[in-house]
Amino acid sequence: MSKARILAVIWRHLYNFKHRADRWVDAFYWPAVDILLWGLTSVYIRDLATDIPNIVTILLTGLVYWQVVWRSNYEIGVNLLEEIWSDNVVNLFASPLTVLEWMVAVNLLGILKMVMTIGFAFSMVFFLYGVNVLQVGWLMIPFVVLLLMNGWWIGFLVAGFIIRFGSKIQTLAWSGVYLLAPFSAIYYPVSSLPEWVQKVAAWAPLSYVFEGMRSVLFTGVMDQANLFKSGWLTGVYLMASMVFFVIMFKQSKKVGLSSLE
Amino acid sequence: MSKTVLEVKNLTKEFSRGFSFKSFKRKKPVVAIDNISFKVKQGEIVGLLGPNGAGKTTTIQMLLGTTSKTSGVIKYFGREFNKYRTESLQEVNYCSAYTKLPQSLTVYENLMVYAKLYQVDNPKERIKLLLEQFEMSDYANRQARDLSAGQATRVILVKAFINFPKVLLLDEPTASLDPDIASNVRRFLLKQQEKYNVSMLFTSHNMTEVAQVCDRVIFLRKGKIFAEDTPMGLTQSIKHCSLRLMLGDGLKRLKVFAQGRNYKIEVNDREAKIEIKEVDVAGFLNKLAEHNISYSEISIDKPSLEDYFLSFAKEDNKEGK
Repeated sequence: MSKARILAVIWRHLYNFKHRADRWVDAFYWPAVDILLWGLTSVYIRDLATDIPNIVTILLTGLVYWQVVWRSNYEIGVNLLEEIWSDNVVNLFASPLTVLEWMVAVNLLGILKMVMTIGFAFSMVFFLYGVNVLQVGWLMIPFVVLLLMNGWWIGFLVAGFIIRFGSKIQTLAWSGVYLLAPFSAIYYPVSSLPEWVQKVAAWAPLSYVFEGMRSVLFTGVMDQANLFKSGWLTGVYLMASMVFFVIMFKQSKKVGLSSLE
Repeated sequence: MSKTVLEVKNLTKEFSRGFSFKSFKRKKPVVAIDNISFKVKQGEIVGLLGPNGAGKTTTIQMLLGTTSKTSGVIKYFGREFNKYRTESLQEVNYCSAYTKLPQSLTVYENLMVYAKLYQVDNPKERIKLLLEQFEMSDYANRQARDLSAGQATRVILVKAFINFPKVLLLDEPTASLDPDIASNVRRFLLKQQEKYNVSMLFTSHNMTEVAQVCDRVIFLRKGKIFAEDTPMGLTQSIKHCSLRLMLGDGLKRLKVFAQGRNYKIEVNDREAKIEIKEVDVAGFLNKLAEHNISYSEISIDKPSLEDYFLSFAKEDNKEGK
């Protein structure tokens, strides 16, 4: 694996980011709109129903941390689509770049852009609503790592379909991750869900992360068994989705990568 | 003797056509490349020609690893491509008029990305030099989307030379270029061959260009190698030539005489064009004198590579009908 080639892919997408207004909109405008909308809504609910404790913190913390999942997932699918839209797939993979190097590069890009977007979102909720999402403390580190890895596995799953079937299913790059959202307990506890949704949520590693986060915020206690369960589920899903992407990449080469352009 | 830089042995590509629910069987695959073998020597420019659908682009894509082969062996510099993909591609590059570079990036940014992908030393200097050679220096800071088709092709050519390749795979590199730029590109390619011993595999629909640039030509037809020779060797395999006569007297007699011997004749005003075997020309002219057919001008058009190409393209069309 070559560091130089990984950096080359990162530079390619950073140059793209520099020139594309729509990428800036995705990185800052949409998170800002979400924060404003949900922030104002939660303030309204807090004033209306005073018996719901910390509603602003619950909603905004969930929203900000969901951006980690969304951002890391988005970087994989959309960066692959960028190559397809530019008719650059053959040029790229006719170079010494390997598919694993490309995968590492888009993961690192996900981290980089996530830091940018999340830094912006953290500041926004703090200055607008006085919510400090960092109050989770040092547990923020495993939480963010798990959220990031969950974004990756969904991203590679979606990218696997895109590399095989091309841009005709490109909408998955934006929408795929939302399929998981209802089962991830981002804004509500798993116990409040219908039984069948709870059964699905038990297999969704994100549900443990968001539940854990709320638990730390309100009680200061984190169930380590749940954190561990989320960890191994995420690990298994991530491995499986990476293998899936590599298999689909090979399948696509059977037809010819040029057919994607 | 110069060494082999690219060796292709029994290369085959079949495209699966999926499953037939009617017969409940897998459909018979389409054979795009059928057991072809060839070699490219160091410093050699080899043309890969054939009509549309012959398998030229599929072959090039397999040589790049962007399309997987069904069977066969590809070796660069004596090493198997499958096992040494990264090492091989470090010394190979590719250009096609039909691919693009990321449109939002500037020319310079695009080339810098590829210079980094190929780990080129002093990338800034290399990019500057190549942009000058392809007369693209003024466009370095322009976004790729703002380039004309010809300018974009030149940037792709710069990309193809960025890593000092030892083997270049060129898929119609001069399509969409103005004649003067295409001529400059051809000159540049020949200079690279001479100076750095670069080997090239070259597809083009411009037969004049192929005859001018290629040392050897491989003709593909329906996925198989149909002929392999020097451009001159291939044209010499066509035995017919065109004999043009500006007639003075005896036009009717010429028509009767030519048709009696099954020669194809076209008449336009007083000019007659006769398709005839080269070896029969002298005898034919003697007979004209015997029949009192006089002419004031004569020219013999020898077959070109284009005639060779057209001769079997016509056959394919007939078979298609």
